[in-house]
Amino acid sequence: MLLSAIVFLPLAGALVSALLPKERAGAARWIAAAVTAVDLALVAWLLLGFDVAGGMQFIENREWITQAGIQYHLGVDGISLSMLLLSALLSLIAVIASWKQETKLGAYFAMLMLLEVGMNGVFLALDFVLFYVFWELVLVPMYFLIGTWGGPRREYASIKFFLYTLFGSVFMLVGIIALYLQGGTFDITALTGMGFPATFQWWVFAAFFLGFAVKVPVFPLHTWLPDAHVEAPTAASVLLAGIMLKMGTYGFIRIALPILPNAAEQWSGFIAALAVISIVYGAALAFAQTDLKKLVAYSSVSHMGFVMLGIASLTPEGINGAIAVMFSHGVVTGMLFLLVGMVYERTHTRVIEDVSGLSVQVPVAAGLLAFASFASLGLPGLSGFVGEFLSLLGAWKSAIPAAWVVVAAVGVLLAAAYTLRMVQRVVLGTPSKAVEGISDLSVREVVLLVPLVALTLGVGIYWDSLLRYVDPAVRATLALMGGS
Amino acid sequence: MTGLDLLIPEYLLLAGAIAALFVERLSPRASAGAFLGAAVALAATVAAVIIGSGGEVSGGMLTLDAVAVTVRVAILALTAIYLLWMAGRGMGPERSQEAVSLALFAALGGMLVAASRDLIVLFISLELATMPAYVLMGYRRADERNLEGALKYFLLSMTTSLIMLYGLSFLFGIAGSTSFAVIAAAPAAGLLGTFAAVFVFIGLFAKMSAAPFHYWAPDAYAGAPAASVAFVSTVPKLAGAAVMVSLATMLVPHASTVPTVIAIVAVVSMLLGNLAAFPQTDVRRLMAYSGVAHTGYMLLALSSATPAGYGAAVFYTIAYAIPSMAIMLIAAEEGTEIDDFAGLVARRPALAWGSVVLLLSLVGVPPMVGMLGKLVAFTAAVDAGRLALVVVAVVMSVVSAGYYFRILRPVFFGTRPDVPVLARSRSAAIAIALLVFATLALGIGASPLLGYLGINFF
Repeated sequence: MLLSAIVFLPLAGALVSALLPKERAGAARWIAAAVTAVDLALVAWLLLGFDVAGGMQFIENREWITQAGIQYHLGVDGISLSMLLLSALLSLIAVIASWKQETKLGAYFAMLMLLEVGMNGVFLALDFVLFYVFWELVLVPMYFLIGTWGGPRREYASIKFFLYTLFGSVFMLVGIIALYLQGGTFDITALTGMGFPATFQWWVFAAFFLGFAVKVPVFPLHTWLPDAHVEAPTAASVLLAGIMLKMGTYGFIRIALPILPNAAEQWSGFIAALAVISIVYGAALAFAQTDLKKLVAYSSVSHMGFVMLGIASLTPEGINGAIAVMFSHGVVTGMLFLLVGMVYERTHTRVIEDVSGLSVQVPVAAGLLAFASFASLGLPGLSGFVGEFLSLLGAWKSAIPAAWVVVAAVGVLLAAAYTLRMVQRVVLGTPSKAVEGISDLSVREVVLLVPLVALTLGVGIYWDSLLRYVDPAVRATLALMGGS
Repeated sequence: MTGLDLLIPEYLLLAGAIAALFVERLSPRASAGAFLGAAVALAATVAAVIIGSGGEVSGGMLTLDAVAVTVRVAILALTAIYLLWMAGRGMGPERSQEAVSLALFAALGGMLVAASRDLIVLFISLELATMPAYVLMGYRRADERNLEGALKYFLLSMTTSLIMLYGLSFLFGIAGSTSFAVIAAAPAAGLLGTFAAVFVFIGLFAKMSAAPFHYWAPDAYAGAPAASVAFVSTVPKLAGAAVMVSLATMLVPHASTVPTVIAIVAVVSMLLGNLAAFPQTDVRRLMAYSGVAHTGYMLLALSSATPAGYGAAVFYTIAYAIPSMAIMLIAAEEGTEIDDFAGLVARRPALAWGSVVLLLSLVGVPPMVGMLGKLVAFTAAVDAGRLALVVVAVVMSVVSAGYYFRILRPVFFGTRPDVPVLARSRSAAIAIALLVFATLALGIGASPLLGYLGINFF
């Protein structure tokens, strides 16, 4: 029941919030904060009762649409737990970050909570149809968050986001149908290790690849991302980059690898190549950006490339690294988008050239921005380093050509280059006109960032705090593949 | 129960249809007829559910199998909801009593079509189902465009009825009987059987507005009052789906090319319907083309020629009819241009969010019923080896998201200067709310219906 409560509590919150009368809409803030906080507490409770070596646990398996073999099947292992924690935490932070939201509050917070339903559900679902339901459910609130509360080009960005991801996921649906007809069930755990014929696997993998790769996003399917990020309100950007991109890579790890192991091996070279291109291309584009938000958006493409590289390695190190990057990127990019949002609220510009000298005018914000940037570029001791190091290590040990791994490693340097250049321009220097007279972060804003800073440091210094949950699940997944 | 008491729902409708014409003598309220009709349809729905399946009338001329009962209940329930809406809104400037009566007659015909297992009964019921629809589509007597559309509909429908009748006559020639059971058991008739089957299906394709026999639909819909389109574009299609299933069951043994023909029409409908819906600015035209596309998906399931596929085709049609009717009812209230939907979220927030549920269901986004309809339809088709068509279908459903969002976008992001003055109507609101609820509930709780229709792949 605990998992169902974690998934559906926000749905109750969303309904209440949506039905608030207009004059009481302000209460939506408190409802959303309470609901997401309780949800986080439930996840913490789950964490306490979680058995690291216990495999898939807290399983709920009930009949749902029996005739079509669809079940209501939820469960959590180390991989999903790390993502669930991230989802619950960032949802709460997104709510508090939206405290100053003024327009259509009831609908706004309802959308945020609905988004959490979908995200939590994706990480817990063990039935394909249920997974697909949550996977698609996420699109709807995000469409409205971007489309209603977004920037000037919000309508274009929101529909582009929706159609791109829908395009990917309908192919996933074809893959799901094919697996169902071949394997006789929609149950994700039951379909693992079935040993489907190689050609069949290859094609189904192709279908899933389209579904997941659009979400990640992998070059060349990434073009929706910068548009969506630039137009999205801060909270939506945080959740989009922090969690929704991880749904794609999570799908690869949870579904594509254990169910289609042979195809995963055949595809790994191609995926690694795309991953390396994403790393370098994303970094190069980030370098060229003049808009802070776009810079963070393209850096996401680059960082998600490391995740894909780790997955493509099919080694324990690589996949542990991939999940570590997913977790760290969620935390760090969340921080970056929050800070960029906070700076934008004050200066009303995101153009890098117009914002400089933050350290003089607003030392707290500047310090935190510098901290988040260092974490993002993978400074050892901060969370970003762990995952990228492990991903590269895994890729190096795997069959992926060494030259590609070297190119990917150069991507780390590029990340340092564009991030440091941004820090140099924005944080240092003399205050520009837009920066003059702005106020430093409020207590609410600092409180918002503290848990993310703590996680960045905690995971960065003491990797094991994250990997002790993830590693057994990764090894179990690889064992299902019949590999190492 | 055996025999004629199985037809209690039909009797109720017949009585209701006649009574609706005269009820104004008893009650001065204009909505009395519609309320009466809705009550009768509701009572008939309950009766149909209680009667259930398994019965035969007149030696099997009418047979209530699972498909027939499902379609019967669906037609009745949708008619009841439609008339409830009509009680609140009427037919605009025209009198609504006749529309109520016509809708009930059409529903009666549809129910008989779904159950008929005899060529003559089928043809007569089919005419009973379509005749009232001609009048409904031409309801606005003073409007020339309306009459033009209705005339087009009438002529094309008559022509295709005759083509179908021609095909039916071949079938009679092959088997020497009008009974489906005898025809199915007759020895295969080679080319003649194929001709017969193709003629019969062409008639049905046209009635279901499947491409390339859809030309009447956009013009007829665009000329007609949206309230008529809401009924004519949805309820008769349920009957059409049922009769296609029973005819396919009967004819596939005679003409092995039938599934291929259906598959070709399916793919043409999906492509043409979805692509042609894109540039439309009139909601009725847009929904006409979207109807073509959805018929395509339904035919895709039908082309699998398996019991599960037949069940999926019927389920898909129900999944299409419910939200589609609701969207047309909203258009009847708000205006038929896409821009008329502008700013709906500010004027009527509940309706705006309801339209999100409806349109996303038509796209196929879970957890609404449309997604489940697509899931079972596509599964049946892949199972029958039509993977390539399913790939076309899923790509086209992304395209469909494009035009459904063209409706949704003004609802949330547009503003309308001249806000129409619309009286509050509780019964109309309840009717639309019921349709929205059904769209959600049939998606989440589809299990009983799927089981009833025999959609089970293993």
